[in-house]
Amino acid sequence: MSDNDQLDVLIAVYLIPDLAQQDFDGFVKLAEAGTISTDGVVLVTKDAEGEVAVQETGDHLGRKGVKVGGGVGLAVGLFAPPLLAATAIGAAAGGVLGKVARKRVQAGIGEKMDDALPPGSAGIIAIYEHDNAEAVAGALTNSIRSSIAQIDKASAKELKAGLEEASAGLAS
Amino acid sequence: MSDGTDRSTLPIRRPPFAGVTKRTLEGSEADWDQAAQVAPPEGAPNVLVVLIDDAGFGNPSTFGGPIETPNYTRMAEGGLRYNRFHVTAVCSPTRAAMLTGRNQHRVGFGLVAEFSGPFPGYNATIPRDCATLPRILQENGYMTAALGKWHLTPDNQQGSGGPFDRWPSGLGFDYFWGFLGGEAGQFDPLITENQKAIGVPESTEDDPYYFPDDLSDKTIDWLHRVRAEKPETPWFVYYATGCSHAPHHVPKEWAAKYEGKFDEGWDVMREQVFARQKELGVVPSDAELPPRNDGFPTWDSLSETERRLYARQMETYAGYSENADWNVGRVLDAVAEMGELENTLVIWIWGDNGASMEGTLTGTFNEMTTLNGIPLTPEQQMGLLFKHGGLEAWGGDLMAPHYAAAWAWASNTPFDWGKQVASHLGGTRNPLVVHYPNGVSDPGSVREHFTHVIDIAPTVLELAGIPAPTHVDGIEQEPLHGFTFADSLSASGAPERHTQQYFEAVGNRAMYKDGWWLAMRLPRIPWLLDPEALRHFGPGWNPDDDPVELYYLPDDFAQANDLADQHPEKVEELRKLFWEEAERYQVLPILGGLSSFYGIVPPIPKVSTFTYRGRIENIAAGMIPRVYNHSYTISADLVVPDGGAEGVIVAAFDHLGGFALYVQDGKLKHHYSMLGVLEYTQAAETPLPSGDVNVEMVFAADAPKPATGGEVTLLVNGEPVAVGRMEHTVPARFSGYAGMDIGCDNGLVVDRSYADKAPFRFTGEIKQVVFDIAPDMSDEDRQVLHEHAAQALAAHGANA
Repeated sequence: MSDNDQLDVLIAVYLIPDLAQQDFDGFVKLAEAGTISTDGVVLVTKDAEGEVAVQETGDHLGRKGVKVGGGVGLAVGLFAPPLLAATAIGAAAGGVLGKVARKRVQAGIGEKMDDALPPGSAGIIAIYEHDNAEAVAGALTNSIRSSIAQIDKASAKELKAGLEEASAGLAS
Repeated sequence: MSDGTDRSTLPIRRPPFAGVTKRTLEGSEADWDQAAQVAPPEGAPNVLVVLIDDAGFGNPSTFGGPIETPNYTRMAEGGLRYNRFHVTAVCSPTRAAMLTGRNQHRVGFGLVAEFSGPFPGYNATIPRDCATLPRILQENGYMTAALGKWHLTPDNQQGSGGPFDRWPSGLGFDYFWGFLGGEAGQFDPLITENQKAIGVPESTEDDPYYFPDDLSDKTIDWLHRVRAEKPETPWFVYYATGCSHAPHHVPKEWAAKYEGKFDEGWDVMREQVFARQKELGVVPSDAELPPRNDGFPTWDSLSETERRLYARQMETYAGYSENADWNVGRVLDAVAEMGELENTLVIWIWGDNGASMEGTLTGTFNEMTTLNGIPLTPEQQMGLLFKHGGLEAWGGDLMAPHYAAAWAWASNTPFDWGKQVASHLGGTRNPLVVHYPNGVSDPGSVREHFTHVIDIAPTVLELAGIPAPTHVDGIEQEPLHGFTFADSLSASGAPERHTQQYFEAVGNRAMYKDGWWLAMRLPRIPWLLDPEALRHFGPGWNPDDDPVELYYLPDDFAQANDLADQHPEKVEELRKLFWEEAERYQVLPILGGLSSFYGIVPPIPKVSTFTYRGRIENIAAGMIPRVYNHSYTISADLVVPDGGAEGVIVAAFDHLGGFALYVQDGKLKHHYSMLGVLEYTQAAETPLPSGDVNVEMVFAADAPKPATGGEVTLLVNGEPVAVGRMEHTVPARFSGYAGMDIGCDNGLVVDRSYADKAPFRFTGEIKQVVFDIAPDMSDEDRQVLHEHAAQALAAHGANA
């Protein structure tokens, strides 16, 4: 982690799940190569039938210690306040999603994303060092909208605040 | 085929009594001709005219396109393809020209039905000295029906109060079923039958409604009924699809047939279609494809997300179009089962104009954003697409989608440009197939005669043995402007009679004569119709100063080689001829249909209070109070039973643009959708009292200006119960097709929060709902807004 200890919290949404997967894989590769330092990245994809799948990076990427509780991962451990504000995703979409199957979704970010994503779309949440912003931007090229918030340190409280801010940015 | 009946004057006069009358029946001699109905000439064929909407020369597979059209092809293989057939480049004008056999400006349709303007060529009113083809056939004994899209009734005449002389029944049709406007939601159309709006058909998840299917059902029903009752009387059916006009709505299984078919993009599609057109012989083998139009992005320049999105747009359009072909096929099958296909003249035109570029460069989730002049960046379009259900929802009822303009350009292959651009073949040349087993000598052939939509009426009349009347209802008739091509059905070498034709739409002009085509395109982006885009064409504009192109079509089928520099004398000759024709046929003033952009607006309406009592539903979009761009109030007197009430008090249109005042959970609410881009809700915190209750929604605009923001206050018995702000409001029109209802919300609802209770009828009593649209503003502001409203209507119409 750099001296200033600043982290970026990014939320990106995708019209097309496999392009989100492509970006996610690119992000992971950067992390594995040590090009960037991440505290976690989550990919939530939702197929045309509304089935949701959640992927996240594992500990092998050397997270710097974001404590979100219970030793569980970012996706299941962090309950996000209005992660993607209703104004960003919309009541209309929400109406469509009412009957969507929620298989394989656990509590936490995945569920929040399920509510927010229309069928056949995807979202990525990533936390990484601010100094890596340029490299990350180069990896996440397929998102249709994204929003970034900065936090000072990797605490759960800060992270939640960052997610809220990024979420609001996405809505604006 | 003459039977001695004088058909030159309509209605046909009853013959003189040839019997004898005495004081009593004793000795009287009967003459049954006195009781006879007029009959068409012996052997007169049935006529089925099929008109597809907003489609290109390169769309159907019958003409080399990527869209599978097996029914169109079977008609072509049993009949003829005409590969030099022309339309007017805009919707209503083509329909008016086709149904009257006269040039569109001469019958008041220089532009579309929405805007009834102050010049004879643009008043959207077919004159009585130009009786329509269905009227002529009707008066000669045919049974006539129009089903589907109409688009020939002015916007402000589509209500229950008429007048009805511009409705289908007033223009020669015994029966009408369809929609009066320029477009309809294919899942939620507002249907009119004869002279009554009968509402939005019921639709459920298990049994979803789809207009194109119903259109064929209703057509077949009508044919079965009239044939059962009149086994020998010929019929004339005008079957006009809403497809493939936006919104591009189609069940997923139809779009899914094209999954992956457009992944290579519009540039490749254009090349492939052109090659197939040559193989089929609908384009000469030596034809050249015009140079690439730089107004459209290359496929290679797009991001992967854009390519996927745009490919889906075209998959949907293709499925939508193939469904239209399938549904026409069902009608043809029914006619065949009735044993009447042999003596039915099928005239099937694939497009009333070239494919539409009005989706802008990105396509749009809601076509009304474009028509309201709301600029949306590609990023905003994608965000809104995401908001309204994502890519999976494209083509479904949660959107009113229109594809990207470049698909239209490719759909018009081999020609350049498209709808509205009357200066070029992309806007004006569409496929025509004629099927008539009793008349075609060499089925499967291609005819290369220069033909035009005004030739349909004289051709039908000749094949029916019916003359064009000199007088109808005592009014001397303007001779038909078109030329029959009936003899070309049986003789490939029949003479080409249509040797000269002007074209004009939204200022784009062309003059054709003896193979030469002078193209005079208005130098503007076709899908932009706003004051700024049109400013250049106001006072001081000289159309003759604009650049021109010259083509010699016998050698240059697709307008690939501009000869203007080589033949300046031909340019001048055709330019002069255009002005002569323009004067002759009421084309002048050029841009007469957009006069409101140049300060020529209708008188300001004086009525500002509209009261609705009782059960009034399905009010057409053009008939609602003008609540745009200024303050207004909606007040309702209710009776709320003990225990409370719920439901809609008034709802206009749907979640993609509309407003609703309703009671939910016992509380008064107001929801406003700014075209699905922004949504606002204000809600009271306490329930309505019981008994007689007055509720009111007051919108106090910031200023009388287009798309103004403002404050909303909800009041119950005069006391404020909720306030809220709306930053932007709809400046021109909420919807192209949905309606307004008192006491319920028919069709797709305005606020999806009560979608599961739709139509969410009010459970109390509504005594009256009153709109007061008389805002407190200066005469100057009033005039500015009035001009804006007139411009918006004209712009909407041009795009419709």
